[in-house]
This record gives sequence, structure tokens and C-alpha cells, in this order.
Amino acid sequence: MKEITNKVQAIAAKLFEEGKIDVFLAWEKGELNFKTKSYVARNALDVKNIVFDEYSIYNVSNSLLKFRDSHERIGIAVKGCDSRGIVRLLEDLQIKRDRLYIVGIPCPGMKDPLAAARNHGGFSKKQEEDGLAKKCLDCIQPNPVIYDELVGPEQSPRQQGDRFARVKEIEQMSADERYKFWEDTFSTCIRCYACRQVCVACDCRTCIFDEMKPQWVGRENSSTDNMMYHLVKHSHMAGRCIECGECERVCPVNIPLMLLNRKLIKDVGTLFGGPEAGMQYVEGSKPPLSVYRENDPDSFL
Amino acid sequence: MKVLSKAKLEAALNKLSDRNEVFVPMQKGQQSGYFTWKSFENGQDELMLDALNVYQSPKNAVLPQTEKMYSIKSQGVEVNIDQTYEDAHPTIIFGARGCDVKGIIAMDDVFLTRGYEDSFYKARRSGNTIIANACYEPGANCFCNAMEVNSLEPVGADVILRDAGDGYVWEVKSDKGEAVTALIADLLEEKEAKLPEVKPFIQKVDYSGVAEKLKSMFDHPLWDKLSQPCINCGMCTYVCPSCYCFDIQVKMWGEEGYRFRAWDSCMFEEYSREAGGGNPRGASKERFRQRFLHKLEFFKERYGTPLCTGCGRCIIVCPTDINIVRIIDAVKEAEINA
Amino acid sequence: MPDQDHKCTCSEQPLVPTIVEVIDIIDRTPDVKSFFVRNVDGNGVPFQVAPGQCGMVSHLPIGEAMISCTWQEEQEYLEFAIKRVGLLTDELHQIEVGQKIGVRGPYGNGFPVDACKGRDMVFIAGGIGLAPLRSFIKYCFKNRADYGKITILYGSRSKADLCFKEELFELWPQETNTEVFVTIDNAQADWDGHVGFVPSYMEEVNPSSQGAIAVVCGPPIMIKFVLQSLEKMGYNDDQVITTLEMRMKCGIGKCGRCNIGSEFICLDGPVYYLKQLRDLPPEW
Repeated sequence: MKEITNKVQAIAAKLFEEGKIDVFLAWEKGELNFKTKSYVARNALDVKNIVFDEYSIYNVSNSLLKFRDSHERIGIAVKGCDSRGIVRLLEDLQIKRDRLYIVGIPCPGMKDPLAAARNHGGFSKKQEEDGLAKKCLDCIQPNPVIYDELVGPEQSPRQQGDRFARVKEIEQMSADERYKFWEDTFSTCIRCYACRQVCVACDCRTCIFDEMKPQWVGRENSSTDNMMYHLVKHSHMAGRCIECGECERVCPVNIPLMLLNRKLIKDVGTLFGGPEAGMQYVEGSKPPLSVYRENDPDSFL
Repeated sequence: MKVLSKAKLEAALNKLSDRNEVFVPMQKGQQSGYFTWKSFENGQDELMLDALNVYQSPKNAVLPQTEKMYSIKSQGVEVNIDQTYEDAHPTIIFGARGCDVKGIIAMDDVFLTRGYEDSFYKARRSGNTIIANACYEPGANCFCNAMEVNSLEPVGADVILRDAGDGYVWEVKSDKGEAVTALIADLLEEKEAKLPEVKPFIQKVDYSGVAEKLKSMFDHPLWDKLSQPCINCGMCTYVCPSCYCFDIQVKMWGEEGYRFRAWDSCMFEEYSREAGGGNPRGASKERFRQRFLHKLEFFKERYGTPLCTGCGRCIIVCPTDINIVRIIDAVKEAEINA
Repeated sequence: MPDQDHKCTCSEQPLVPTIVEVIDIIDRTPDVKSFFVRNVDGNGVPFQVAPGQCGMVSHLPIGEAMISCTWQEEQEYLEFAIKRVGLLTDELHQIEVGQKIGVRGPYGNGFPVDACKGRDMVFIAGGIGLAPLRSFIKYCFKNRADYGKITILYGSRSKADLCFKEELFELWPQETNTEVFVTIDNAQADWDGHVGFVPSYMEEVNPSSQGAIAVVCGPPIMIKFVLQSLEKMGYNDDQVITTLEMRMKCGIGKCGRCNIGSEFICLDGPVYYLKQLRDLPPEW
């Protein structure tokens, strides 16, 4: 990975020197080994801080949202999942392709800095495993789907077995069992909205949950409002979730959010077919549930 | 000295739970926080008194994340408030670390002083007893010593526990402490116990002069850099033992309903958005700055103590590695060009 | 600055509103209405206000908002002039006389009416910003001998948007040693008065800063330029008073929303001398 870091640094330095970019988005090292975080390099001198290591798990495409209203030209280093995030932003017209110079990095799988931070923090009596993060074990797309330059050898998907196995288990439950399962699951939610904030597909300028006129979802920490939050949020993810797993990774109360997302991926796949969200970029293309046609067979729109 | 043998801990918690709702640190399934002893399930849940701390602070016991305030009945032009929900039922927070005790003492300042007493908080607090758990071995992210907390002698505790291996030394600190002690007097033994060795802090934090220096740093460029990774989720504020900001909202089913308050977070754009649409803290950086200035400067100016208690929770949970210790360092090191 | 000894005049339950009856509603402009309320038993009001203080107005099934409460000499009712800007105020504009609503208060410090005695007073307001100043203006006229010359300068977007027209055009100009200047942003057919923005009109009128106190309230952009103009006209920071507006929920300095620095606007404000504001972070 040192080699990849060097290459990315060199590419970023060259882009700055040639005046092709104003910022370069990637990762930097924190004070401790596992503390790799998102980073914005603003000039050739900053480039030395860029790092790609076993903890570069953060989905950097999310950082693009802070630049959607600026005119800066942006270099960005992306893993497979991050690149799918870029496709989403391009499809949603949040950022223009010609503002981006994308350095793709086939991803060998990452460890989770948050799990490491928890182990280091000493609040838990049990140590979490130090292996690849769950989201990386479930990865179906380690190689960037969109890039201007690719760094490092291609990687194979790590996902094993039936990706929807757990979804099918839940589908087998009776309606009452299923309701109870989700009610219990969401009862622990503290409504910190980290799952929304870390999500690159959540790119609405004013989120429905922040809308006060009318207020669609109450702020109570109750099963009604919690469920309303999650079901509405995830419904919005139908056909949009790029399966980067960041929502589930950052959740402070370990809600299995990807289970809901996978259910929707499965259903959207069955109903509409076609490539999954963010898997390929065709200019002007839209995900299934973002298209309105006057001759739509359903009248609810 | 009075000692509660660890063999009798569960008996003591049972007994205290007869007349009190007792909040104990535990690992409950995937959650780590203060939960009632009555909800403890043997074999599934794990008591965390001997861990450094738990992720959710005990503030829920005195400031629930959602708290009903009063009933509303609305029929045509008539409207009535038939009931208010001040709740003074007896509660005990059992085993809070000094940092978390300080969080509640800071909230006492907010809710019970400066002109108005908040009747809902006052009721809960009046029924609430704090049994603290003195801290002899700071963790990797602990810096309470720098934030005016004495982890060995938590100010505001009604009883202080000291882990002496086989048992807890039981030190009564107040009348409320006496009252709960009386409930389990038969379980306490009078004997000598050897207290643990006090270990040094790993984090070295120097908060001295930071509040004063921040006064002239509102427009300092360091906020741009420090806030860059922040995604403005509310995790730090919700795990924080001293963040107390709340929203007041209403829930109606037809003609009946109630008003409630719920934790809010200065990290959210909606928090300071005005009815007309304007927002003095519309940008991510502005909200980030507000949180840290409130913790490190504003609260100190108003109440004489910082609103950060050095528990280190936000440092562990932050998905983008925002670290308040590094922010204090950065402020210390910052150059101020007038 | 934070007042630790603030005497509490509120009930034991400061967050629980008192139910009152709306006894009259007056349309002030197309989007401003005055609501008059009094106790449901028909006698008196739940609390007395000083000029510049506010009340939390609660349409119980919908929500609450902090609204400036008009000072009256005989406090037989409370008046709230409310502009329709959001969810709650939209709903309030739908209610009719006889509706029961909730109020709690009084909140905030109010204007320094005693400290201003003996001074010439210059009131500068834009839009609904006249509502809080109107309390102070009424107070001055009620105690006319205590104050020097009174200059009132008011502007709004259009003629229709001018609040309190009767007072502006009939009552106040008749008061002794008083001048009232009114302007609207854009010319319109049935308007023969001044056209232009408040700050530039103020510079034209140029009320002397000698011994005067200027009291300013209006939209943030107006305040910004008025303050610049006042400075040009020789007003010191301790001669300028303004009243702030922030998002508020509790009204009693607890919920955290309306802070600017270590100040809570609902409790320590909303009225500040410019000199005090200069010490605060520039979020006002």
C-alpha cells in the first residue's frame, strides 16, 4: 500500500503542479496508526500528507458534497465503493464530471478505524476482531467503476455465498414477527443521523427529516418516529444505495442498516433489473426510481 | 470503612431496586449504556462497573432523550392542559464515573440556576441519587483531570464507590447518600480494604487559558481546517454526558396529544434555522465551531467551568476522527494575528 | 452580560403555558395580524410586560414562537403583532376570535427605558421590526416629559406592508416635539411619500447624534446598513440600541438555541447596546 500511497501522492503533486486541480480529496493519517481519515489537500505541499493504507475505509465521495456549490477543480482518490458514490453524484447532477480527476484504487479490503478506536478506548471488555471490516467482507465491487487513472492491481470481490441470505430469512418471517424484529431493531436508535450524514446517496439539499413545514417525521425517540425515520430514509435509498456500508459501520448502536438496504437492492433488482446503483456511469442515465414518465403504468405519481 | 462485597453486589442492586429505578452501566445486546437493573438479563447482559465506562452516558436518567411535558386537548376553539408530567420518582445512577457525574452537575447549573428552574428537570433531579465509581486508571482517551474533574473525588456524588478488588468501599457523601445506604445497611460490612493504585493519565491535555484565548479566535482560520472532515452528524452530542440542548415539539392524535422535549444537536442545520428561513449557523463550519466554543469557552464564561468533562466518548465514536483533545492542542498552538 | 440574580417572576412551571382567549384580531398588513388576548375568565392577563419584552405564544396543537409583546399602560390585554413566516404563524393567522391559545412569559430584558430618560430618541424600524419599538415609543409618549425630541423613521417594502398605519400617520405625528418619517422600498401609484431604503433615508433626515439614543429593529440586512450609517452620523456604540431575534424554543435560557457566545438572547437579551454586541461573536 506504501507503493499506492506514493503513486497517488505523485499523481496529486503533478496535477497541482500542472494547475489542473485546486484540491485533492483522499485520506490522511491521524495521530495513531488506525486513525486514517478524510483529507483535503489544497496544494502540492499538502500532498505528502495523503495516505492510502489498511484503514482508508472512509467513503471519500461523501466529501464531494462539501464542494458541490464551489467551482474548484477536484482530484479525488477512490476505492471501488467510493467510485460508485461518484457515479451517484454525477447521476444526481450534484457535481460535473469535468470538474473531477478520478484516481481509482482497486481495494484489497479495509479494517475499520472505528472498531480499532473502540478497542483502543477501553469501554468494552471484549476486543473486536482486527480483520477486514464487515462491509469489506461483503464487498462486490472492489475495483473502481469510474476513473481517469488506475493505481494498483485489480482485486477480486470478497463477498461469499448468497448476498441476500439474511434478507430471505427475514422475508420468511410472518408479518407480525417481522414487525417485531424491526421494531426491536430500531428501538435502540438515538437519531444521531450519522447514517444519513455519512451517506453519499443522501444528497438532498434539505432532508425531509429537517423539513419543518410540514414536519413529516416527529423528533420523538419512540418506536413510531424511529421506524418512520428509518423506513423513509431507506425507501429513499431504493435504487440509490451503492452498498458502501458506511451507514452501518458508523452507527453507534449497531443497527443492521445494510439489511434494509440489501432488501431494497434485491427488490429493485427484481422489479426493474438493470445494473445496481452506481455500477456504471452513462451520461444522462438515471436510477430506476428517479425517472418520471407520463405514460407510467402506476398512477400514484 | 464500609465495604460492599462484590459477592453481595447483585443483592444490593436488587434491594435498591425495590424502591428506586436503578440505572447501571451495562452491555445490553449491541448497546452499551446505563440501563435499569430490573431490565438486566442474566447470561445475556453484562454488568460494566469494572469497565472504564459505557458509550451512552447516564444523562438519560435526569434528561431523557424524549420527555413528555404536558397533555393537550384541543376541540374547536377550546384548548386545555389537563396534566403536566413532572416526574420525581426515585432513581439511582449506580456507578457513574467522575466525568459523567460532572456532566450532571453542569446540567444542574443550566436547569436550576440563572433565573428559572426547569420544573421537569428539577423533579427528576430531586428524586435522583448519584452513586459514583471512583476512577483509578484512566483510559486511552481520558482527560477529565484537565477539565476540572477529580475522578477520585467526584463532586456532586451522594455516595462514592472505590473498587478494592473483592468489594467496593462505600463512602457516603450526602443526606441522599445516607438514605440509600440505609436501604442496604445489612449488606455493608465494616472492615479495612486496600485501595487501588492511582495510575497516571495517558492523554496530556492543557486546557489552561484556552477559554480566554478562544475569545479572540472566533474568526481564526483554524476552524476551516479543523471542521473539514466533520459531517455534522449528532453522535458526539448524543453520547456526550454534558450536552443538554433540547427541542420542544408536539404530538397530536386528532384532538389529543402532548408536548414533549427531545435532545437536539447544534450539529444539525435545522437547529438554528429561523422561521423565515435565515440561519446564523447555516454552514457546517459554523456549527462545528459553535459546538467547541460552547464546550470550551461560552459555558466557562457563563457558568465558570467547561462543558467538556474529558470522558473521551466523542473521540472514540466520531466517524471522521474529530478529536476535542487535538482541538484544544490546536487552540493552544494557534498564532493570533490581530 | 449573564445576570445571575435575575429575579424569577414566572410560575413554578415556566415551560407550561397559561391558556388565554383571543378577544380581537386586527389585520395590520397582508401578512401581519395583531392578536389581543386575555385570561379566560375575562379578567386581566397572565403576566405584565415591560417595553421590549416578549411572550411565548403557543398554538397548542401546532407549536410555540417567541413574539414581542406590545406594552400598554393599562394592561387589560396582551397584544402580539405576528407576521406570517412559518408553520406556526401560518396556523395562527387562520384562527378566529374566541380561540383559546397558550402564552408564557414575560421573557427578556426589555428596553432600558430609565437609562434613556432625558435623551432625544431616534427610533429606526423596518417591516415588522416596528412592533417591538412601538412599545418603547408608546412608553415615551405616555411619559412624554421624560424624553427629549422623538424621531421615528420607518420603512417597509410597500405601502400595504406598513404596520400600525393609524399611529404612524395620525397619532404619533400629533405628539409634541415629534417627527415621523415613513418610506417604502419602491415607488407605487398611490404613494406620494418618500421612496427608498431606510439607511439612506436616515442619512437624509440626519437626526443629530448629540445626546441622542438610536433604537433599531428590522431585518438583518437593514440593521447592518443602519448601524454603518449611524456610525457615519456620529453615533457612538453606547448610543445605539437594538433588539435581536434568534430561533428560540424554551425562552428561559436552557434549551441552547438562541445563544450568541455566552449570552442567551431569550434571557439576557433581546435588547442590547451596540457596545455590548461588539463584544459578542458576530452571529447577530
